[in-house]
Amino acid sequence: MLTRNTFIQASMVGAFLLLAGNAQAQCRSFAKNKCVPGLAPYKFNETFNSAQLAPGEEAEVNLTFYSGQDYRVMVCAHPILGEVNWKLVDSNNKIVFESLADEPKPNFDLKVATTMQMKLVVWVPTQGKNEMVHVGCVAIMVGFME
Amino acid sequence: MRTFSWHLLIAVALLSACGSGTQPTDELNVVNTEDSVLQADRLKRTRNIFYSIPSPMETAALLQKAGATYNSKILNDVKKVDTYTTASEQALNLGVYGADLSYASVFNHTQESMFYTSCSKKLADRLGVISAFNDSTLELMEKNMGDRDALLDVISETYWNVDAYLKENGRDNISALMIAGGWMEGLYIATQVSLTNDSPELRQRIAEQKLSLVDLIALISSYELDDPALSTVMADLKALETLFADVPVGGGSTTVTQENGVALIGGDSKPSSINDEQLAAIREKAAAVRNSYIN
Repeated sequence: MLTRNTFIQASMVGAFLLLAGNAQAQCRSFAKNKCVPGLAPYKFNETFNSAQLAPGEEAEVNLTFYSGQDYRVMVCAHPILGEVNWKLVDSNNKIVFESLADEPKPNFDLKVATTMQMKLVVWVPTQGKNEMVHVGCVAIMVGFME
Repeated sequence: MRTFSWHLLIAVALLSACGSGTQPTDELNVVNTEDSVLQADRLKRTRNIFYSIPSPMETAALLQKAGATYNSKILNDVKKVDTYTTASEQALNLGVYGADLSYASVFNHTQESMFYTSCSKKLADRLGVISAFNDSTLELMEKNMGDRDALLDVISETYWNVDAYLKENGRDNISALMIAGGWMEGLYIATQVSLTNDSPELRQRIAEQKLSLVDLIALISSYELDDPALSTVMADLKALETLFADVPVGGGSTTVTQENGVALIGGDSKPSSINDEQLAAIREKAAAVRNSYIN
């Protein structure tokens, strides 16, 4: 009996990993086809941060911006989620840039006087109580000018 | 013509080891449910936190802009590739060869780029990352040998594919080792180049690695450290963190102004710098750690 339970548990874990991996692969494919072109003429920095998010959920990442470089920062969400909110804050949590769902901005082009880290926070607006929960890919992309 | 044929021969030889993977579709994973309990549960979830480590290509590009020169003698020996037999050795050295490949390619040494591509592919294959170097990768590189930008694009996409493949297949610890190996090789290259090509700009870039070191430590910490390879890497990074402790970088408040449609973010901190003593200590440690990975 113990063996059977162990087998069932292992199968469930395996199935979960398979589904999670497949969702990530779909997210990468979405980002590659729909988001990377939006970085042009900047070169994608190869660091791909993405998540499957639902309304009310958020993700954050610390980004390092080097002086002398030009950057484009972009948050790319699957249309099923609608527009998402995102902001870039400095080390004192001061908002440097913000794009809100009701007034979205496609990207943020910047350069920094001295090398610094900023935190990008993205969150999906909540929906009405009776609406279905849609989970969708949200990708945080950074491009730099070589 | 002879050179071309020789390259083609390498490409064909490497391609013969290539497998094919299923291409992910562009469809979306959607959960449709009206279950309010499930919805409430999702809303209560904690935030997703990511760690962004500069890629080898970005680091190499920064070094070039800082006036660094190319020195093939400091790179890892391509003949060593067959000596890496365990998964952790292969992952760390996939990162090392990937960084060497980026360095050679950014500095337009395409012949050496092919050698390092070959090494990277061998290790990726041994790690089971077959689909990341798909059948067209080497052909594309061969075709773009004379076009540096196109070549860099192919290398960038391959790096992305390898990292993504590992993460999508639940092998995040291997991905973390690859990233750590690449980061360490980047630091090693920068500190070695500074021996013969020292400049304030290069020192600044070395000092700024303190920021990505903090992120790399956070990334490694997010995994189970009962993996001996990861815990060894963590100890190496912590030792470097101690040496970087007094190196001043970033921080402070920011101001935003616009300049031709681009936001210029000003800060009240001075550019990072590193003194002779700090640089020597970091160089020595980076070399010792890197040599422990490649030997």
